[in-house]
Amino acid sequence: MAKTVSANGFDLDDSGQRVVVDPICRIEGHLRIEVNLDEANTIRNAVSTGNMWRGLEVILKGRDPRDAWAFTERICGVCTGVHALVSCRAVEDALGIPIPANANSIRNLMMLAQYTQDHLVHFYHLHALDWVDVTSALQANPRQTSALMQSISNWPKSSPGYFSDVQNKLKRFVESGQLGPFANAYWGSPAYKLPPEANLMAVAHYLEALDFQKEIVKIHTIFGGRNPHPNWLVGGMPCSINVNDTGAVGAVNMVWLNQVSDIINQAIAFVDQVYIPDLKAIAAIYKGWGYGAGLAGKNMLAYGEFPAYANDFSNDSLMLPGGAIINGDLSTVYDVDVRNPEEIQEFVTHSWYDYPGNSDGGLHPWDGVTEPRFELGPNAKGTRTNIEALDEGAKYSWLKAPRWRGNAMEVGPLSRFVIAYARGREDVKELVDSTLRDLDLPLTALFSTLGRTAARGLECTWSAHKMREVFDSMMANIKAGDTATANMEKWEPETWSVDTKGVGIGEAPRGALGHWIHIKDTKLENYQAIVPTTWNASPRDPAGNIGAYEAALLGTPLANAEQPLEILRTIHSFDPCLACASHVMSPDGQELAVVKLR
Amino acid sequence: MPVQETFYEVMRRHGITRRSFLKFCSLTAAGLGLGPEFAGKLAHALENKPRTPVIWLHGLECTCCTESFIRSGNPLAGDVVLSMISLDYDDTLMAAAGHQAEELLEQTIEKYDGQYILACEGNPPLNEDGMYCIQGGRPYVEKLRHMADHCKAIIAWGSCASWGCVQAARPNPTRATPIHKVILDKPIVKVPGCPPIAEVMTGVITYMIAFDDLPELDRQGRPKMFYSQRLHDKCYRRPHFDAGQFVERFDDEGARRGYCLYKVGCKGPTTYNACSTIEWNGGLSWPVKSGHGCLGCAEDNFWDKGSFYSAVTDFGVLGDVEADADRVGAILAGAAAIGVAAHAAVSVASHLSGSKQGSKENG
Amino acid sequence: MATVMETKHAPENQAAVYVFEAPVRIWHWTHTFSILVCAATGYLIAYPLPSVGGEASQHFLMGNLRLIHFISSYVFAIGFVVRLYWAFVGNRFSRELFLPPIFKAAWWEGLWYELRFYLFLTREQRKTPGHNPMAQIAMWLFNVLLGLVMIGTGFALYGEGLGLGSWADRLFGWVIPFFGGAQNTRMWHLMGMWLLIVFAIIHVYMAIRADIIGRQSSVSTIISGWRTYKDDLP
Repeated sequence: MAKTVSANGFDLDDSGQRVVVDPICRIEGHLRIEVNLDEANTIRNAVSTGNMWRGLEVILKGRDPRDAWAFTERICGVCTGVHALVSCRAVEDALGIPIPANANSIRNLMMLAQYTQDHLVHFYHLHALDWVDVTSALQANPRQTSALMQSISNWPKSSPGYFSDVQNKLKRFVESGQLGPFANAYWGSPAYKLPPEANLMAVAHYLEALDFQKEIVKIHTIFGGRNPHPNWLVGGMPCSINVNDTGAVGAVNMVWLNQVSDIINQAIAFVDQVYIPDLKAIAAIYKGWGYGAGLAGKNMLAYGEFPAYANDFSNDSLMLPGGAIINGDLSTVYDVDVRNPEEIQEFVTHSWYDYPGNSDGGLHPWDGVTEPRFELGPNAKGTRTNIEALDEGAKYSWLKAPRWRGNAMEVGPLSRFVIAYARGREDVKELVDSTLRDLDLPLTALFSTLGRTAARGLECTWSAHKMREVFDSMMANIKAGDTATANMEKWEPETWSVDTKGVGIGEAPRGALGHWIHIKDTKLENYQAIVPTTWNASPRDPAGNIGAYEAALLGTPLANAEQPLEILRTIHSFDPCLACASHVMSPDGQELAVVKLR
Repeated sequence: MPVQETFYEVMRRHGITRRSFLKFCSLTAAGLGLGPEFAGKLAHALENKPRTPVIWLHGLECTCCTESFIRSGNPLAGDVVLSMISLDYDDTLMAAAGHQAEELLEQTIEKYDGQYILACEGNPPLNEDGMYCIQGGRPYVEKLRHMADHCKAIIAWGSCASWGCVQAARPNPTRATPIHKVILDKPIVKVPGCPPIAEVMTGVITYMIAFDDLPELDRQGRPKMFYSQRLHDKCYRRPHFDAGQFVERFDDEGARRGYCLYKVGCKGPTTYNACSTIEWNGGLSWPVKSGHGCLGCAEDNFWDKGSFYSAVTDFGVLGDVEADADRVGAILAGAAAIGVAAHAAVSVASHLSGSKQGSKENG
Repeated sequence: MATVMETKHAPENQAAVYVFEAPVRIWHWTHTFSILVCAATGYLIAYPLPSVGGEASQHFLMGNLRLIHFISSYVFAIGFVVRLYWAFVGNRFSRELFLPPIFKAAWWEGLWYELRFYLFLTREQRKTPGHNPMAQIAMWLFNVLLGLVMIGTGFALYGEGLGLGSWADRLFGWVIPFFGGAQNTRMWHLMGMWLLIVFAIIHVYMAIRADIIGRQSSVSTIISGWRTYKDDLP
């Protein structure tokens, strides 16, 4: 093969040294990346492989649609709740169930809390160590670290004594020789550019954020009973509101509402005074490292999220609008119709599945088929159960290749922000423009690994502040006398249509999420989900388009071919979630044909 | 560097005073439901026992167990990971990747053969040669077996590792298999729940390290300290159950007054867990307290027992045909009644004709 | 097995036989009563009545239903044990319930004959002082086997409330994992109720039918204990 050009315009060259990174750690699930390097250790070919398949959608066949949220919630425990919400929307869409205004607000609050917590954890615990050298923090001067912190934030924990304590803690940890999760990493690599003081500041916040993240999810605990995996309900939310009547202590009452309000304030403070200043400090140092664009700025997709008005998913209602941008033309944002069989399609030519008749065509999720077929291509190295290198010319991933009108698309916070920006949303524009101004960067700087990371941070502060807005409007609604949280008119299966289809869409923290369902005789006949990581980590399609991960890795030089630090950086900037990405269903909901029982 | 530093030494190095250390011990003892006399024992154990390496593997799962673990408030997850155990491998949190990560497994075996705890999140699929879950190009089940061979004991985190959970629900297309059916020769502590409560997770691991022993287990391999009672037994809505006060529909008057959720499908009466006592996220709430019935997520195969909103259980033995005991029972009773009626009718007819014949013969 | 068979002569017909001794008859009726009470309360535990109003502390409806269920369950279980004891000390008919003579060829022949009889393939029913082979097998399945299942599942569930380490848990706790969890155990316990209802329907029908068109007494036998015959034919 050697040199080729992908259908979406990327130069590929697989002649150089092949490097395999498996497992990619600090992600959800199991992912493998293979790259070819040229003589200068620059990535010239990239292969992204989903390493797992759980078959949840075939398990859903024949179940009660009202239970589906609980099954799909278990698709992912990191972005917990997002699948449950979208599943409820799909069932409500199919059965024609409008939800009350309070339920809409509570759902928005829970989703916003999820964004805030998930983005925070991703930045500090899954991504920061790609930019922050933990051992370098040992060389920092605590007094200068304090000065640095105080120059960028008024967060109270910023004294020289505080940083000195953190440094001593770290020093003793390193001296013990038991490095635990920090063992065998890439410390000291020339790819790390932060001064020791910035590293110490970030390590301190790594620990602070680990303690703080658990506070944000308490919003889920109040409305959904727990986190991870809070409870939801088709037709609204299961938590009743009772603020001024007998038995209020048995429902969502003033005490809990006050607590939610308090958590929102704490979240805003932490994100604005710790996360955002850290992000800007790190970005200012790394802004010269402009790799990792891939599909960013070219092909981006969002369905939109946070309906301001219950049951209205039009862009007028959505706080973050949906749309698609093609070929880098930001002046045109296309509307996306998730029901149109010509728009969203999945391909399996390079996935470990078969379509009937080995077809290379694409299928809309309502007609989705998934029959697993695990086989390696002729150029793969190793054996079936000991793979050394994959053959990307054949099947090579447990992920399918979803495409919008034939295009590979990138989804995620950056896509959402770029689409909101292109649609002229003032709140998003202001956030983006002011940040770029502070860093002295053009808009195009967003189309990079660092841009993805920055957009996630900006969305985190946007979400935290939005929670305040949603909470206040919910309180106003309760004050106006509306305390309903669930619409039970169509709860009983006898009230349902015999044969009906529905779709639920939304935006997980990681990007556009859709669930397509078919209900027949009160049971689930077909269930199909296309999740953000399936878009981003997608393998090649029959037309030769490469996926977003693969595209983003191309052209990136590695400081050391033995250390995949730069690969981790770019892959982590997408916040992969592989448990989400694996899926299955067969035509018209028939049983899997190829499952071998041994 | 002392290879095996005690927990107490580590805490001292981290600048924690003896006073705070003892306070921590008494809080932990109380958190484990142990009496105050155990605080001293705990302190003694932590002062003298070396830190135990923990290898945390992930199979087919959704990572909700890890997410729950880091929600622990007492002790803080950060303290557990950095000071109480030595988390030598956890692909969700570790800085290394690829072969640098996998090397750590061999290093641990070399240094701590037979001494480390293997914490399993998720389960291995056995179909397709195990290749429904690939790690480092190989089936996950191989890695699991290899690491289990050299470990001291296994913690099966969550319902995936303990029972199989969602990917093992009917028809279990990947043949996802719980740990105890793959690893037969090691002690296994099941900590079920989807996910388990954060403080239950840290409580179990702290107990194992502090007392250098497995917690006492029930018949099904779960620690008695957290799994010996049903949610129903300690539910604060129990008085409404006993009184006969139920939520009939979500968001009705009963729901707003906090009545019992049994009629809308609460599985509290059949679920063994600590939700109704320890509660979630720092004791803030738990599913029933926030208005939704318990799903029964700590129970074996809780996915295949009918709708979560039904008070009765799916038969589960008739494959895809949904049939609960009442439906089957009512059909059988109906069939018996019809059969009896039909038989009676035939008997009467036959008896009449019989006696006619009989009288003819006699006459 | 040398039980003296008491007989008494009814006016004209073949000699009547004393089949059901007093403890068996008392057991039969307490058993019937406990099954009825258990089924009614059990159903209401599975499907509670509409909610009552007012404060929880003013009511104990479910609590009382459960209490009645537990008391009548004890009557059922203790009755079962007493009945088992009587099988050792009672007359030869008292053992029929527990030990259908399945190793005797004649018994199988009798079963075949009864099957044909109930399918109207043969006209005359044979006389049997106790239960006929078909009734014996039904009695064993529904009273002994199902009775044990109900006692096992019932006390296992009861032990959940008494707690780990209670007598019920120690004796019957293994039943719960055996059935695949507490929920399944409840489900089979409920299923058992339905099977007992099925048995009751057929049992009552058979008894009355036999009384009306059979050649021997049936309903009166479980009241008086005596099997009387309507003719002197063998």
